[in-house]
Amino acid sequence: MSASVDNTKSFLEVSPGIRNWLYTLDHKRIGLMYLCGILFSLLLGGAFALLVRTALFSPGLTIVGQDWYNKFFTLHGAVMVFLVIIPGIPAALGNMVLPVQLGAPDVAFPKLNLASFYLWCSGAFLLLLATALGDVDTGWTFYTPYSLESQTAVIPAVAGAFVLGFSSIFTGLNFLVTIHKFRPAHMGWFQMPLNLWALYATALMQVLATPVLGITLLLLFVERFMQIGIFDPTLGGDPVLFQHCFWFYSHPAVYIMIVPAMGVISEMITTFSRKHIFGYRFIAYSSVALALFSFLVWGHHMFVSGQSRLANMVFSALTFSVGIPSAIKVFNWTATLYKGDIRLDTPMLYVLSFLILFTIGGLTGIFLAVLSIDVHLHDTYFVVAHFHYVMMGSTLVAFIGALHYWWPKFTGRMYPEALGKLCAWGVFVGFNLTFLPQFVMGSRGMPRRYWDFDPEYTLYHRLSTIGAFLLGISLFVVVCYLAWSLKRGKKATQNPWGGTTLEWVAPTPPTTFNFPEPPPEVELYDYDDLVEVPNANEDGVTNWERRPATGKPAKAHH
Amino acid sequence: MSAQDNDKGGHDDHGHGHGHGSPFIQHHYDDAQHQFDSGKLGIWFFLVQEVLFFSGLFVAYILFRHHHPEVFAYASHYLDVKWGAINTAVLIVSSLSAAWAVRCAQLGQRRGLIACLVITLVCAFGFLGIKYIEYSHKFHERILWGHRFDPCVASGGAHLPNKSNQCDGVKSSVVWDFKTKKADRGCLDAETGYDWEPATPGIQARCQVAEIKIGVQGNERREVGRRAIEMCEAAAGHGQPHKPVPCWALVENRHVCPKGPAAMVYYGDKAVRTDVEIEAVCEAAPAPAAPEDAFAHAADRPAPGQATLTRQAPPTKHDLQVAWSNGPPPQNTNMFFSIYFAMTGLHGLHVLAGIFVYIWLLVRALKGHFTPEYFGPVDYAALYWHLVDLIWIFLFPLLYLIH
Repeated sequence: MSASVDNTKSFLEVSPGIRNWLYTLDHKRIGLMYLCGILFSLLLGGAFALLVRTALFSPGLTIVGQDWYNKFFTLHGAVMVFLVIIPGIPAALGNMVLPVQLGAPDVAFPKLNLASFYLWCSGAFLLLLATALGDVDTGWTFYTPYSLESQTAVIPAVAGAFVLGFSSIFTGLNFLVTIHKFRPAHMGWFQMPLNLWALYATALMQVLATPVLGITLLLLFVERFMQIGIFDPTLGGDPVLFQHCFWFYSHPAVYIMIVPAMGVISEMITTFSRKHIFGYRFIAYSSVALALFSFLVWGHHMFVSGQSRLANMVFSALTFSVGIPSAIKVFNWTATLYKGDIRLDTPMLYVLSFLILFTIGGLTGIFLAVLSIDVHLHDTYFVVAHFHYVMMGSTLVAFIGALHYWWPKFTGRMYPEALGKLCAWGVFVGFNLTFLPQFVMGSRGMPRRYWDFDPEYTLYHRLSTIGAFLLGISLFVVVCYLAWSLKRGKKATQNPWGGTTLEWVAPTPPTTFNFPEPPPEVELYDYDDLVEVPNANEDGVTNWERRPATGKPAKAHH
Repeated sequence: MSAQDNDKGGHDDHGHGHGHGSPFIQHHYDDAQHQFDSGKLGIWFFLVQEVLFFSGLFVAYILFRHHHPEVFAYASHYLDVKWGAINTAVLIVSSLSAAWAVRCAQLGQRRGLIACLVITLVCAFGFLGIKYIEYSHKFHERILWGHRFDPCVASGGAHLPNKSNQCDGVKSSVVWDFKTKKADRGCLDAETGYDWEPATPGIQARCQVAEIKIGVQGNERREVGRRAIEMCEAAAGHGQPHKPVPCWALVENRHVCPKGPAAMVYYGDKAVRTDVEIEAVCEAAPAPAAPEDAFAHAADRPAPGQATLTRQAPPTKHDLQVAWSNGPPPQNTNMFFSIYFAMTGLHGLHVLAGIFVYIWLLVRALKGHFTPEYFGPVDYAALYWHLVDLIWIFLFPLLYLIH
């Protein structure tokens, strides 16, 4: 092989220098660059969230009036949705993990992958430009006709979301082709790690749903520039059409957020239970089922937008059916825990948080699918609490957990475990303290997106604000210690958690093409012949090795 | 294959290796077939994405057409089926040459490949050229979207006085003479064959709606210009609220304008009665005595309320009946043009993108990059081009061929 690249050294050490990073085609480097951007956006979006919560600490005027309040919650939503949660697991972690789990040297289209990253940067820049230009006050949903009239920086924000959409489409396209064409000969569809099933289902949704958002935002953009009149009722256009098109994407977008989270949870729950995943095929199929259902339920966002009664009933019924694949997953995860040898490392704490928070988020979604109840709860804090339980309590918690899980593999460093566990508790307690009160005040009629409230809600708002600060501080500490660990963390071993998927066979950190030699066939989720070797390296970090008796000698690369 | 071409196919981190025949087989693929298959799957997913990208507009089309079939039936006649059909043929030819280019590349026929790529490019430019002709005509006649829809012509070809009186930069209008049932004067251009021409500034001013009185006699309001037109629409709509009569039917000069408690408002051969007194006054503005005055001889100068025909015979009654038989534009006719410009505009952008892709292919073909082992880009571009073609094949009947 006449490769111009050294495939024996860690991808972090080969060709150093900022230029080599910015022009890199290595999926792991691109993933790490995404991660930096996403963690920065997380802190930014979190800062806006804390501003919103601070403003709501007491009734009446606190730190800001209504105009600033509207801008804060819009930017919080737009940054968190478009810059953090949607790209979080697929673009950052997926980029790093997917080819390695396949045993492939890279994604199918490395240049396209880099282009996606720069599209993401451009989109993020436009969103931040909107912030700098005096903010946006339409909410992240950009509903017409208000978004056509708003005097704020809607145009750069919409352009940003449009560009980010194409970043997402190209990432999804890349992953689909990689999974189709780069599976090794011995890896059939049902020998794939469940994370890859989830990423596959996610990529399908990214490719099928995001273009609809693209055209919708493009029309909104043209509408603002040229008054083309597709959505403007004064010109004969239809503002509800905007809602349909928007949710046709944005409901799948919720699943683009949650399905990859389910994938990483599946990986972590079996690893930390030291037990084969229960119901592999059910979990795999339910990912695809969720992807399919995601396209059929968008109307449940519009029960009070003047849909026909028939449409409401159909969308309501279909929404209930989403509970089935979701529940299948939760039951199988729970069954995986049963009689497992559960190890409560930091990633596992996040997994258990996820199970609880996702169950609450999912079940309250069933409440909202009931038409009569939705009329009462629509646009209240109940909805806010519900989707935060899913988007943040589930997706973000899974993302942070998975970040801890794969951090040693891709950075070669361990994070501080005790601090990690403390912050995991902080996130769990802080999250519930923030959002459980919101269920209560929402069901008692506190409307969402209001900058002021009746004094009867003061207690709930205060609890929520206190919880938000606990949550924010915990996440901030997580980002800090992860950054700290890059230089000071203990050196990681090849397989610190005892995972069975291919990335744990690769060196830590992987080489440029991931494997110095073609990866072996592994027994997926088979923990029987993995033995724990404490103090396996000079920093005293544990490693898990295959018992030589099975004929699969442990590969030592550290 | 020369060594300096390597920069096209490879990159820093992923050198070429494995002893591939073509330097454009990237390192992380097993072999040429693997690369080709991956690219092919990728382009198919991309096309799926494209279909969904356009789907939003098709949904909007279905929705608006379902809600306003009369708008689509009426406004479709504004489009020129001839140009649309020619463009359809042009795109089909280009699809053929795009497919042929793939075959040439597979067989290693470099000259054939280059010829096919050139034909495809010529057709693509031709398509955009024709689209430019159509668009510029629409802009010229102000057959546009939203508030900009202010047509100078009725669907079918006859000229209308438009609200802003800015057609062709000429502030003028056709005035329908109720007595003679003829267009009284105007500034129709040569394109339609009704070559009315006093388009000089003096006449233009005369052709404007000068004033409309609305209200009970002695207590009426006088309105001028655009406001007058709006008032006159409102008044006309009073009789038939569901059929607002556009102002051009009311534009009348004082000699024939009916006065009295009720006014008769005509369009085509129908009459609508309104219950308010309307007086449209068309004052003669002083004609400029400039040397370029078309009516240098006093005898030729038209009296107010008359037109001077300079080149061709005036339109016959039949002409005008045909031209105006569709009546005034229904409400929300602008919606059709919102959809029309959004769909054809987005499609045109895709054609433009295709042109860049084909120029890139042509450059690479001239350099001899494509071989029977490596011809993926030609194949992928052809698939994209077929999709662009196919979308037009849907757009053409949906927009041009509505009856």
